[in-house]
Amino acid sequence: MIVIENAGIRRFIKTAFPFIFIPALVILGAVVFDSRKHIIISLGVALMTLFVFFSGYEKKKTGTRRMVIASVMIALCVFGRFIPLFKPITAVTIITGMYLGSETGFLVGAMSAIISNIFMGQGPWTAFQMLAWGLIGFIAGLLSDPLRKSRVLLLTYGVVSGIAYSFIMDIWTTLWYSGEFDTAVYLSALVTAIPYTVSYAVSNFIFLMFLAKPFGEKLERLHIKYGV
Amino acid sequence: MRGFAELNPAVLMIYYLCVIGTAMFSMNPVIITLSLFGSLVSLIVLEKKAHIKLHLSFLLLFLILAVINPIWYHNGVTVLFVVNDSPITLEALLYGIFAAAMIIGILYRLRTFTLIMTADKLLYIFGRLSPKMSLILSMALRYVPLMRTQTLKVRRTQKALGIYRGDNIADTLKGEMRIFSIMATWSLENGIITADSMAARGYGEHRRTSFSLFHFSKGDLIFLILCIIPTALIIWALAAGEADFTFYPAMSGINSSPLALTCYISYGFLSFLPVLLEWKEELRWKYLMSKI
Repeated sequence: MIVIENAGIRRFIKTAFPFIFIPALVILGAVVFDSRKHIIISLGVALMTLFVFFSGYEKKKTGTRRMVIASVMIALCVFGRFIPLFKPITAVTIITGMYLGSETGFLVGAMSAIISNIFMGQGPWTAFQMLAWGLIGFIAGLLSDPLRKSRVLLLTYGVVSGIAYSFIMDIWTTLWYSGEFDTAVYLSALVTAIPYTVSYAVSNFIFLMFLAKPFGEKLERLHIKYGV
Repeated sequence: MRGFAELNPAVLMIYYLCVIGTAMFSMNPVIITLSLFGSLVSLIVLEKKAHIKLHLSFLLLFLILAVINPIWYHNGVTVLFVVNDSPITLEALLYGIFAAAMIIGILYRLRTFTLIMTADKLLYIFGRLSPKMSLILSMALRYVPLMRTQTLKVRRTQKALGIYRGDNIADTLKGEMRIFSIMATWSLENGIITADSMAARGYGEHRRTSFSLFHFSKGDLIFLILCIIPTALIIWALAAGEADFTFYPAMSGINSSPLALTCYISYGFLSFLPVLLEWKEELRWKYLMSKI
């Protein structure tokens, strides 16, 4: 996340982290450490992945308008998190990824996690939430064209990402509780999280159903009116 | 030296990394107990009021986490009793209790983190790491209360127009969705104006400067040293395997070699450091008052 002026170092980070450092850390973790240290490895991988994404973003000549729009979308995510039971955070992240590109999608997802945790409570899980929401936004950006064309696909993606979010966060819970990945504990964590998983999936479905089209129109209009 | 909350944010961040980092990766009962009580007392001292509801919810979470392990796991040599042909062992039960205590201890510690590290301190740290991220964060943080007041205005206007009625659920939901949509349009347009204004004032022309009230004083340095030295000792003991503790198949005894004892004392000191600092300040205050 540090400003790196040198293009060579930037390119080095972009290639070295995903293809050398992260696999090396995983292999090292599997070979050298005993299984109880899996939590360190997973936290390290999560932080490195976030580093790769953010080091790319910092350098880019991103227009001021785009940046402000991103922070408006983040604020909308966080603002919506206070609604009881239904959380629009994933839905807004998906919409951002779809219409503003995958990088902005990642940024909005990851940053919303930080900011809403300022109100809800920070912890080591913040890194995992950032990664989970960021990736949901990033993939939405990659699937932008099919998602925009097909409403069914969009709603399916919303439901799937709600369930996937819950599954990813339960991996973290399991690692924290027993230090290693443990299928039995993971399954019991999944079972206790069923109400939350259902609420994520349902709220994504509802919000995407009602918000996707109007939001898309608003962002399109912004594009036509101001050329963002 | 000042109170705990007034220390330099970077120093506070290092303290939290040290105290949580060491507690998270150790399953030694002594360290876990010290972590749990240290963080609990810190929260009570720093918050200065009792949160009965919080403590009750943490107690409930503790009980749930503690029973998961003996129900799923049947390793261990000391069988307490047998339920449905599956033995409940003492080792699995104690492992569950200590794993739960570790998690609750860290949750209490993170409560104090949320209490101490307010948004401005986080922005100060982020600003050093990445100016652009910190700008996005601070803008988003500013928009949240702005949106709250604007939503209130929109809701009142809708009510006054008679469009928004709250007497049945479908109507309420539709109204809320409309308000959310209005808010989105308003804040996006508002954002464009903000961006243009920023560009007009020369954003992006030079390096961004930022203002903060935080200094690095002598007290910060002393605190930093008091926090680094015990951490180094703990890491040394953990790396040497002196503070290891195994639950399965039979529990190992608690190691009491000199290095292990140093590690426990260091962790106890680190864990109670905020409390000690607050007490010291209180004593000094009383002493100064008595002199008047």
